[in-house]
Amino acid sequence: MANTADRAQPAWRDALRRQADRWIKRRGPSKPPLTLSYRQIFILPTRFGWAFGLITLAMLMGSLNFNNNLGLLTAFVVAGLAVNSMLMAFYNLHGLAIRHCWAAPVFAGELAKLCVNLANDDTRPRPALSLKSKFSDAQFALDYGQGDEIEVSVPTAKRGWMQVDRLRIQTQHPLGLFEAWSWFWPEQPILVWPKPAQPAPPLPVTGGGSQGNKLAAEPQGEDFHSLRGWREGDPLHLVAWKQSQRHQSLLSREFRQEQADILELKLSAAPGKDLEHRISVMTAWVLMAAREQRNWVLDLGAERLGPASNEQHRNACLRALAELGQ
Amino acid sequence: MTRAPSPIPVYWVLAALTITSAPHLIAMPAWLATLFLLMVAWRALAANRAWSAPPALLRLTISVILLVLVVVASGGHFSRRAATTLLCMMMAAKLMEMFSPRDLRLVAALSFFMMTAQFLFNERLVYLVYLALGAWTATMALISIQQQQTVTLLSPKLAKTEQLARQGRQAAMMIVLALPVAALLFVLFPRLASPLWGLPQQSMDGRTGLSDELTAGSIANLFLDDSPALRVEFPDGQPPPVEDRYWRGPVLTELDGSTWRRSSRADQSSPLPEAGVGEEFEHRVQLEPHERRWLFALDHPRSGPEDSRLTTTRELLSRNPVTTLTQYDVRSVSSPFGPSDLPVSARAYYLALPQDRNPRTRAFADELRDRFPDDESGLVAYVLEWFRTEPFRYSLATAPLGRHNADEFLFDLRDGYCEYYASAFAILMRAADIPSRVVLGYMGGDWQEGGEYLLVRQSDAHAWTEVWIDGSGWVRVDPTAAVSPDRIDYGARGAIREPRHVLDNEWLRNLRNRLDRAQHTWNRWILGFDADRQMRMLERLGLPRGSHTTLAIMMVAGLALATLILAVLLWRRDLKRPRSEVERAWRLLLARLRRHGLTKQAAETPLEFAQRAEKELGPKALDFGRLARWYHHAHYGQSHPPLEKRFLAAARKFRPV
Repeated sequence: MANTADRAQPAWRDALRRQADRWIKRRGPSKPPLTLSYRQIFILPTRFGWAFGLITLAMLMGSLNFNNNLGLLTAFVVAGLAVNSMLMAFYNLHGLAIRHCWAAPVFAGELAKLCVNLANDDTRPRPALSLKSKFSDAQFALDYGQGDEIEVSVPTAKRGWMQVDRLRIQTQHPLGLFEAWSWFWPEQPILVWPKPAQPAPPLPVTGGGSQGNKLAAEPQGEDFHSLRGWREGDPLHLVAWKQSQRHQSLLSREFRQEQADILELKLSAAPGKDLEHRISVMTAWVLMAAREQRNWVLDLGAERLGPASNEQHRNACLRALAELGQ
Repeated sequence: MTRAPSPIPVYWVLAALTITSAPHLIAMPAWLATLFLLMVAWRALAANRAWSAPPALLRLTISVILLVLVVVASGGHFSRRAATTLLCMMMAAKLMEMFSPRDLRLVAALSFFMMTAQFLFNERLVYLVYLALGAWTATMALISIQQQQTVTLLSPKLAKTEQLARQGRQAAMMIVLALPVAALLFVLFPRLASPLWGLPQQSMDGRTGLSDELTAGSIANLFLDDSPALRVEFPDGQPPPVEDRYWRGPVLTELDGSTWRRSSRADQSSPLPEAGVGEEFEHRVQLEPHERRWLFALDHPRSGPEDSRLTTTRELLSRNPVTTLTQYDVRSVSSPFGPSDLPVSARAYYLALPQDRNPRTRAFADELRDRFPDDESGLVAYVLEWFRTEPFRYSLATAPLGRHNADEFLFDLRDGYCEYYASAFAILMRAADIPSRVVLGYMGGDWQEGGEYLLVRQSDAHAWTEVWIDGSGWVRVDPTAAVSPDRIDYGARGAIREPRHVLDNEWLRNLRNRLDRAQHTWNRWILGFDADRQMRMLERLGLPRGSHTTLAIMMVAGLALATLILAVLLWRRDLKRPRSEVERAWRLLLARLRRHGLTKQAAETPLEFAQRAEKELGPKALDFGRLARWYHHAHYGQSHPPLEKRFLAAARKFRPV
């Protein structure tokens, strides 16, 4: 799918598309929160609609020729149905509220899941809706007064903030003769984290630290870390008596000496043939460090994050890596 | 879509196709119709069992076989019925590859076409029911196809029947809302004054009307047929007296064995020179299609509509066969008119009789001629009296007669329907040297009080004779009237008292008359609405006659207006229902849980649902119980803004994972 995203389009088509986008955006609000109104709703017959028109025309010509009034009446009822169908397709979108359109960050190459929050505040149901990105679509329906969140996936290719192409919400309700649609964009671009290197080189050994470079747990540390099964040689003061009683087996408390192990992740020190490769190695390291609950610092040269070991730190690091050089 | 598509749209499409094809199926050979229904049944079963389409080669083979069968059934004779039969069978073949929404839609759309095709054969009022039912089912099929992917998403708690009811109401509403546009187009769409291409050839669908031959039983067969033949309106609203209601049709002048036929030259014969005539009688006839060219008119027609003409035998002939309901104005005179003498050649023609037949009739005729030399009127009067006094009976009996048919009837059988009397009488007259001919048509008609028109049915079909009396011309003589005056006074049904079939009773006859009055109104206002009427209507509105531009402008303006009104109507249903933030947030919560396989039942209160959610989802839905309690207080309790705010904030964050 990433290939499709990358496929180069002719310049004129790009320009045309940009022009079209600008035109659509001029017509009214194009980002949530918005309520679809007539300026944002487009409508055209579907292929089946055109075929249906041809059949109606045949009915009309035949009946007209033979002056067959009941046949004409049929053709006109069908024409009336088509008019209704057009109006109902329009009203199926009209007044629909799009509250947010948002996606959680993903790694480059993964599918970003755009979450669109829609609400139908009207007194009638809106059946047969579909939401389309360029690569996926989702069918749904909204009962009256109901809201829902619909996900569409968007492929990602490069790290950084990705501008998402317009999304299309459309309906062919009620007979499939006409398709009414609206375009909108997510409020924000999607944050695409760099793709972690695979296979990733092992985490660097922190050099220069005076307190040694032990990475493993150190029972003499001051911070309580976890409980583990008692092993021969564990001093008595480390036995967690209360917990051991509860678990019917001896447990020892384990402590760590952590402030000593600040892991330095340096972009300049990362192996790799070019910057992008080094960034992806860094990404893999950040993920490894986070998984191993290490305390780490991200050093990008111009920027230094940490030390910390929590989820926020991880996300901040990933974001900094994604934004690097952009 | 890996999920097997729902069979319901397929069922609806099949229903639409079957309903709209029903009249075609009835008209085609029963074994072909059975084949069609078998295909429909197979497709329904395939939908039910989620079978896939048969291989392409098999489909092609079956299609070709069906095609051949249609050709065989039609006997290679291409008629319009053959065309619709072909259409039906091709639709049946299409069912074999109807496995995508696209094909389903196409078949549903063609169902509308099937109805129009049927209307070329019959436009009676009852077909309005067919139109309504067919349009509703086809619309329902289209809706069902359109919503098949999302129907279960839309309020999954709704039962299937409730969803169907919803769609059904929607289909009905769409059709009702289509009517204003349809009515507008019907009135304003410019009509063609004359057809662009050929006229329909068939309209009788195998029924028989009055033929142009007279043999034993050819009219008696029509006695059972109560369908209308023609309806007549009179400018002063008064029908002619009962004894004058002779509706003249074909005139049979040649006796071929025992069959009376029309002259092969009758169509080409030129109109007669005008002669002095009596009072003219104007009337308007609405003629049901009968696939022949004659236009029935009150005896004796004098001038008909523009594209018709009179023949020497005073038949009113239309230029084309009457294959649609036709309305025309005729002027008739009550007394015969025409040239006062018959040329020698014509006299010989009207006296021609096959040799070696009916010796007893000839002998009787010789005897009569001797008794009434040079007194044709006296002779005719005597014969009629003879009919009256001898034991002749008027009945439906249709005994086949042999070679000497007049002999057998006049001297042995003496029991039969009008065609026996007319034929035997005409033969007797010719034998007696009096030129004669047989006239076919209708006699009588029921005056419809409510509708102010005279209804003539097929069962009123009649045969009578005309004889040439020097000095008077062709004089109508109805031997049946001599035998059974009731036939004239009360119609054929009054004269023959035996019930014709089980459903023949007074109450039903009244009901039928009532229905026919509705049919007549329908014919007059809907079916009779043609280019001419449209122009007259425009004229009444004070618009220039003959202007299609005016019509077109009015139509477009009217359409725009109708669409605007419709848009407003539909938009009014769009008005906002006040709904609180709390309610919306709650529904969003429910939607999230639904995606995790937990759906709130309609009967459950929020708190009950929360208990069940905690049980089923375990720790994943731990916070939901709290949210449900808050919602319960915020929604059902007294207004308490801080609580609402807390609920909203928590609800926004809540994720069931």
